[in-house]
Amino acid sequence: MNLTQAFKMAVKSILAKKMRSLLTMLGIIIGIAAVMIIISVIGGVNKKQMEYYESMGTNKITVYANLWNGGDAFDEVYNYCKGIDMVLGVTPNGYVGCTVKYGAKNSRSMEWSPQIYLGSDQYSMCNNFKIEKGRDLSYLDIQNYNAVCVLGARAAKEFFDAADPINKEMTIGGATFTVVGVYGEKDPSKQYSLDNIIVIPYTSQRYLSEGWADMSEFTVKAKDSASVNKVITLLNGNFSGWEQTNRGSFWCYSDQQWQDQNNQQAMMMALMLGAIAGISLLVGGIGIMNIMLVTVTERTREIGIRRAIGAERKSIIAQFLIEAAMICGIGGIIGIAIGFLGTAIASKLIVQMVLLPQAGVTVGAFLFSVALGILFGMFPAIKASKLQPVVALRAE
Amino acid sequence: MLIQLDNIYKIYGEGLESEVRALDGVSLTIDRGEFVAIAGASGSGKSTMMNVLGCLDIPTYGTYLLDGQDVGELTDKQLSHIRNKQIGFIFQGYNLIPELSAQENVELPLIYQGIGPGRRAELAHGALERVGLGTRGRHKPSEMSGGQQQRVAIARAIATSPPIIMADEPTGALDSKTGLEVLGFLQQLNREGSTIILITHDNGIAATARRIVRISDGKVLEDHEQEVDWL
Ligand SMILES: Nc1ncnc2c1ncn2[C@@H]1O[C@H](COP(=O)(O)OP(=O)(O)OP(=O)(O)O)[C@@H](O)[C@H]1O
Ligand SMILES: [Mg+2]
Repeated sequence: MNLTQAFKMAVKSILAKKMRSLLTMLGIIIGIAAVMIIISVIGGVNKKQMEYYESMGTNKITVYANLWNGGDAFDEVYNYCKGIDMVLGVTPNGYVGCTVKYGAKNSRSMEWSPQIYLGSDQYSMCNNFKIEKGRDLSYLDIQNYNAVCVLGARAAKEFFDAADPINKEMTIGGATFTVVGVYGEKDPSKQYSLDNIIVIPYTSQRYLSEGWADMSEFTVKAKDSASVNKVITLLNGNFSGWEQTNRGSFWCYSDQQWQDQNNQQAMMMALMLGAIAGISLLVGGIGIMNIMLVTVTERTREIGIRRAIGAERKSIIAQFLIEAAMICGIGGIIGIAIGFLGTAIASKLIVQMVLLPQAGVTVGAFLFSVALGILFGMFPAIKASKLQPVVALRAE
Repeated sequence: MLIQLDNIYKIYGEGLESEVRALDGVSLTIDRGEFVAIAGASGSGKSTMMNVLGCLDIPTYGTYLLDGQDVGELTDKQLSHIRNKQIGFIFQGYNLIPELSAQENVELPLIYQGIGPGRRAELAHGALERVGLGTRGRHKPSEMSGGQQQRVAIARAIATSPPIIMADEPTGALDSKTGLEVLGFLQQLNREGSTIILITHDNGIAATARRIVRISDGKVLEDHEQEVDWL
């Protein structure tokens, strides 16, 4: 007996008892849908969180450094990092609150006034900004204390609207700065005001007549997550001497661990909820086994007839296994459909965007349900095949 | 020698007070091409005999050689193949599968022979035509009369052209006219070379066979040959 024939037989017997088959599938349907929704939504929430970190710039190390004699701690860190391959950029992290004016516009009368950041030429690299118009801050700007600035997308829109800001002069903290560039928009949702910034060379803080930025907090950006801890070790090794010689203070950390922990928590959560949903799959599987045992009993005579006219044991096993696998497979497909719908709705409610389960999860769910059918169909199928032809034929 | 039973016992509940010897030391040989009636009263062990002869049941004691092979030494798979290819069963009470149409019922043994759908449909249709049900292939057993169901069962038995046909009370549920038709059909198959084993409690029907084996309480009472009229 070939497989196509066995499949046709299974379809026939499932269709002959539609209601019962559907009810049998219910456990599988609910289980598969629940597992899919849980995995997909948690995955989505985690992904969204990671995207947030990503937009803040990943692989960052925060450094707090001070020199007691009033020397340029940043310059020392900057120069030391130049010699490390694993470091992509270094920038101060400080910002000043001061008045910004352009023409009739004044930041004091704005609902959201921009943040003035004191950056190095590597500010954009460290914080994941891309130049969209004009140019970025250069090393020479820093060296020469140039009174220039680069605007974040939101700040550019607030002050210049559709006009071109390049080469326009703005008054920042009482001093005149020339706009040399505009960064591309980083946060379209505008939730984090990431784009409402103005970056000036940190060395030009001297021109500002109001506000004062703490110049002891820097950001060091490492090449990748694997280098973060190595860079921290190098920095600590090089600068810990400051404290010992009482020259200054040095401390650094990264929020990498924080992100890792976050990932881990999401995973644990998915596993735990998945396990709970898995129990419903187990119950579904036992339901399949139960109904298949009933089916085998009901069809004892049929099994007898088939054996009498020449069906081998393995043909009987195949018949009932395929039937169980097919019931579960169909249940799995319905469960997947509901899982898609449920994931879309749940993700819309929880993270305000429509997510769909990944292909891997979908294929996995289907294969798992079929495997469940085979697993729980095995015992009834073997039981059916062990019936003696005469005994089965005599059954009523 | 096609069939050789040597001192066969089939004992239910052996050793108990309620022990039943359905077959009680039966020895019998049947040659290729014979038409044998196994006759006896109800409960005499006829169906048990057919089950043993048809490799559906294993005797408690004794040896059964089929085509020179000791059936007791064959595996379940080999026995399945023998039932599938060597023997056509016509059971007491049809034993059709109710969910399947006549055509599908007749195709069943061909499916287990691994014959493809086209050839299978052809063979099954041919068998149904031989029993006069060429146009009834799509009907389910529940949509047919007893005589028609019996003929579907016959079609299923002959679809694989087996060398041996075993029929257990094939006329039991039929009126005498239809019964005679079925018997005539078995004689026809016998003339074409099949070995026929016909099981009946009815002496009139046994009289259509060239050889009658009478059993009672699981023992062979009488074994004789006779002239018969072709129906
Ligand atoms: N599974 C069983 N357990 C116990 N006794 C059995 C079993 N099967 C058959 N028997 C007994 O074996 C004897 C022979 O039964 P069998 O079915 O062969 O009779 P039969 O000649 O075919 O009768 P009928 O003409 O009524 O079909 C009977 O006494 C029956 O009760
Ligand atoms: Mg009987």
